Amino acid sequence: MVNYTLIGNITVLKLVMIVGILLGWAITSKIFSFYVRKTFKTRLDKDHLEIAVKIINYSIFVLAFTWILGILGIKLSGLLVAGGILGIVLGFASQSIVGNLVSGVFLMIERPMKIGNAVEVNGVIGIVEDIKIISTTIRTWDGLHIRVPNEKIFTSSITNYVSNVARRFSYVVGIRYKDDAEKAIEIIRQITDEEPFALQTPAPIIFVSELASSSVDITVMIWSPITEWYELKKRLLWVIKKRLEANGIEIAFPQSVLWLGEENLREKIGKSIVGD
Amino acid sequence: MEKLLLSDHSEITINPVEPIFTPKEITSYLLIEFDRSFAIKPGISKKIYLTFPVEIGIFISKRRDFELLDVFSFARKKFSLYGEPNNGIVCKYWKSNLHLSKPDVNPLTEGVLELNVRNDSSSWINVSKALFKALGMKLYYNGSLVSMRATMKLTDEEIAETDFHDSPLEKGMHKSIELVTSKRLSVQSSKTIMMEGI
Repeated sequence: MVNYTLIGNITVLKLVMIVGILLGWAITSKIFSFYVRKTFKTRLDKDHLEIAVKIINYSIFVLAFTWILGILGIKLSGLLVAGGILGIVLGFASQSIVGNLVSGVFLMIERPMKIGNAVEVNGVIGIVEDIKIISTTIRTWDGLHIRVPNEKIFTSSITNYVSNVARRFSYVVGIRYKDDAEKAIEIIRQITDEEPFALQTPAPIIFVSELASSSVDITVMIWSPITEWYELKKRLLWVIKKRLEANGIEIAFPQSVLWLGEENLREKIGKSIVGD
Repeated sequence: MEKLLLSDHSEITINPVEPIFTPKEITSYLLIEFDRSFAIKPGISKKIYLTFPVEIGIFISKRRDFELLDVFSFARKKFSLYGEPNNGIVCKYWKSNLHLSKPDVNPLTEGVLELNVRNDSSSWINVSKALFKALGMKLYYNGSLVSMRATMKLTDEEIAETDFHDSPLEKGMHKSIELVTSKRLSVQSSKTIMMEGI
């Protein structure tokens, strides 16, 4: 009965064995997945954990598949030749897909950005909405949904605006030459001291950075918590401007003093008229 | 802040809360920097007294259920970074005078923290700041004082561990509602390890 041939060289026994292997594969995969998830739940984050589970499942499947091929009497060496030719054809056809896929796997392992991070990548600035195996979706500040292939992300530089807990921003405040720069610095220092989100440490840096053509430029560098820096940056410059003006220090505007040759002439003519 | 309360037979409770909520809750840590550092001999423990900013919570409560309505503070509000930007902690910042006995303070702006410092290392250690996790803060208050009691265990020149004691500084003080602890779903350690300098 067990040697009864069904189709070609497939006997009842072989069929039972194949079904058994498939069942074994399904059960083993479930058991391994369960234990990997349970064991590494606290040590790995969700994305990495799922990648590990998938790798284990695929490995078990490849083992089961190879075993079934052996039972069916299919030689792997023949398959390798056929697979090699097929691989070349598929390789040319799906080069970019595979590139994106591999990049996606490396992005998930390296994790230069996470879902929810504000990033600039490949000329796109926005919030990472999803990182999939082939592509990453980013929502720009204007609310546009942009899909970026993972290969482009992986090969371009990524600026993650929120990976650190704090960041620095700067202003350049230009005051008039006749104003007291030391007093201006003191006023700005008071403002940063009063502002809760201008971090105590690292301390703000305030200094005269340039004696420019129309103004004395004071550079203000402030560290702020990453969640608050943008609101602070939007708000603080106007506070500085108003406080400086309230203390008699004006923001300079571009100006040029022109000396005309005619003026000297007029002066001479004026003197000669007076002399006459 | 103005809010319409739709309720019946509820009570308004006002008490100090963990000092991390104003002007905005962005951290769970309080960093107290001392006005002068101190050095402690190996193997001994000493009590020092610091101040901390007082924040006052207004709750609406019915039996054991309470809901936070607002938090305000008259104390200076400032944040700081403990450690480096890439792996540090953003903390609520407070600069405190260092006292060897309980100081007199305005209870509406400053509380008193009794800190028991123990040097478990084999060398003298300089200490200039202490970092505390809001989870685990045990605040007690009466009409003239808001207080906490904590420990600071120095393991070497760079590392320390801080934790809180659940006991009042004076007899007859009331215990505040623990806002941070009540907001946490799971049990977490109240200890803080200072690894970025003390």
